Amino acid sequence: MRIPLSTLRILVLLAVFVATVLFFASQIDGYLNARLFNRISGSVAVIALIAVGQAFVVLTRNIDLSIGSVVGCTAYFTGGILIAYPGLPPVLVPLLAMVIGALFGAVNGFLVARFRLPSIIVTLATLAIFRSILVQSSDGSSITTDRLPPWLPNFATQNAFAVGDLQIRWIVVISILVVLGAHLFLTRLRAGRQFYAIGSNPDAAAFAGINAGRTIFQAFVISGALAGLAGFMFLSRFGNITVVAGLGLELKSVGAVVVGGVNIFGGSGNVLGVLIGATLIDLIDTSLVRWELVSEFWREAVLGLLILLAVAADTVLIRRLLRRKPAGGTP
Amino acid sequence: MKLLTVSSLALCAALFGTLATAETMVAEKGGTVNMVLLPKFLGILPFDQANRGAEEAHAELGNTGTLLFTGPTPENSVAGQIEIMTTSTSQGQNVVMLSNNAGDQIAPAAEAAQAAGTKVVTWDSPIPNGTGETVFVAQVDFGSIGVVMADMALSIMGGEGEFAVLSATPDAANQNAWIAAMEEALKDPKYAGIKLVDTVYGDDQSEVSYNRALALVDSHPNLKLIMSPTTVGIQASAKAMQDEGLCDKVKVSGLGLPAEMVSYTLNGCAPEFALWSFVDLGYLTYYTSYMLGTGKITGAVGETFTAGRMGDYTIEEDPGRPGAKRILMGPFTVYNKDNVEAEAK
Repeated sequence: MRIPLSTLRILVLLAVFVATVLFFASQIDGYLNARLFNRISGSVAVIALIAVGQAFVVLTRNIDLSIGSVVGCTAYFTGGILIAYPGLPPVLVPLLAMVIGALFGAVNGFLVARFRLPSIIVTLATLAIFRSILVQSSDGSSITTDRLPPWLPNFATQNAFAVGDLQIRWIVVISILVVLGAHLFLTRLRAGRQFYAIGSNPDAAAFAGINAGRTIFQAFVISGALAGLAGFMFLSRFGNITVVAGLGLELKSVGAVVVGGVNIFGGSGNVLGVLIGATLIDLIDTSLVRWELVSEFWREAVLGLLILLAVAADTVLIRRLLRRKPAGGTP
Repeated sequence: MKLLTVSSLALCAALFGTLATAETMVAEKGGTVNMVLLPKFLGILPFDQANRGAEEAHAELGNTGTLLFTGPTPENSVAGQIEIMTTSTSQGQNVVMLSNNAGDQIAPAAEAAQAAGTKVVTWDSPIPNGTGETVFVAQVDFGSIGVVMADMALSIMGGEGEFAVLSATPDAANQNAWIAAMEEALKDPKYAGIKLVDTVYGDDQSEVSYNRALALVDSHPNLKLIMSPTTVGIQASAKAMQDEGLCDKVKVSGLGLPAEMVSYTLNGCAPEFALWSFVDLGYLTYYTSYMLGTGKITGAVGETFTAGRMGDYTIEEDPGRPGAKRILMGPFTVYNKDNVEAEAK
């Protein structure tokens, strides 16, 4: 029996995930309950969107470091627009946030694709530039929950449905739909396969008539739009937005992508893995706070170590498998 | 022995005499002092309010020099502060007013500024080891913040139960000093009924603070209060408790901005919190710097001056930092449902 490599990766990730849950359950009293699910699903809903956007970019051999600033900007500007026009139809608001995010993404994509600048430098610069735009335009005032139309802060806690004590919130449903949509797009459509082609073999992709510049531009726009949607959820979930909103999300998103099995050098990976990667990172982060053995000062270091371990284990495993059988069909 | 007593008495009298005759310096309007107001980073309300206070004093004193409000962006706070300090020195600014976020790392740049004739007045958050700093304008006595937090905890919890602290970053100098002061205050028998069970850090980011607050509730089933000595943390905690319908069980208190806390105070999630006026802090810092810049005071212990509408202040030893000097502003206001709305306007 031959299991495709991508399926195997997901199975390994799931095993690690279950092992992590069991480990913390043995360490922390009253760990396994519905509240844990509700806490983690709500926060993963935001991170997963950003991570999927990041995955599109990483697949094309690029990286988007500006993503935290994009989330901060869209959350802030969407909030600002809603304070000025509280009567906007709720359906339009997430779309508006996605458009704002896509515009930021288009700036990155244009610079990287048009001028062939290294994305790590471009997005490092826009990380600072977007944040500065936010600081300058905010003029020191923050968005506060009580100035927003009430439906928005309430949206983040509204359940689509509940199974016993498990609450499945709308933001979780939306996020999962986005991940599934991205998965189908990447694996089933020609337009989606192009992202893999560019990343795994740019020369062959060019021969096949794929426009590398346009595909890379699209990846950054998608990343920006998903960061924009995440910004909307961020605004809804936290309500109070200051200029530090979204600081450091680039690290979490790259972490989720890499732990989720996307090759950091492009060309292979699966967004379902990214969703599990994002969940795993959030689970570890949340659980470490409650694990008394690890002091607050070491929490981040332990998290970093676990990410490294996950990546190393994955790499070793995959290499061994590749050696055993002839070239498998990645992704 | 007797002689010694007599002579020490005489010494006391002499000291008392000098102190009693020490002149209260009054600012001379229309001087030229170029100043830079340097917050931890740009873009959040407290620092903007401090700038408003500084601008008020600037206009009042008719300073013909410039007042520049400049700071780093949030992700570049430490390096950015050091850079602005160095730039201000080479521009020949007379005074830099610094809310330090760079720990002792900024000390060499501050020392270089002093050597080049640029005075460094810290406010809000000092240079921990005091090097390179002329004087620190302290918002309140750090010890008394501890007592106020302990008192709020006692009254909100009705005298007994478990509570936890949600702070900013693990290495934030002011928050750590305040938490230590609260732990010290809790030793008093009158707080015997309340117990501090945990301290976690939300890194002054809403999302991290929000998740930490919920994790606290999960880890401590009997928790009755989250005490957050930071404006970001208190607000995120209150939102988290409100979202999860926990406000009846777990209250939130600490240090917060009335404008950001008003809805949570009125709905009972955060019945009581405290803060000082950042406008006043900016105003007093400006006056101190102007007096230093015009040479009316030199920054020595015992010097007294009049800071416009706020009255007289004296430079004293900083009890928390041996060898460093401070000017104590105080007091702070405790906000509850009766006064929070008026202040939030």
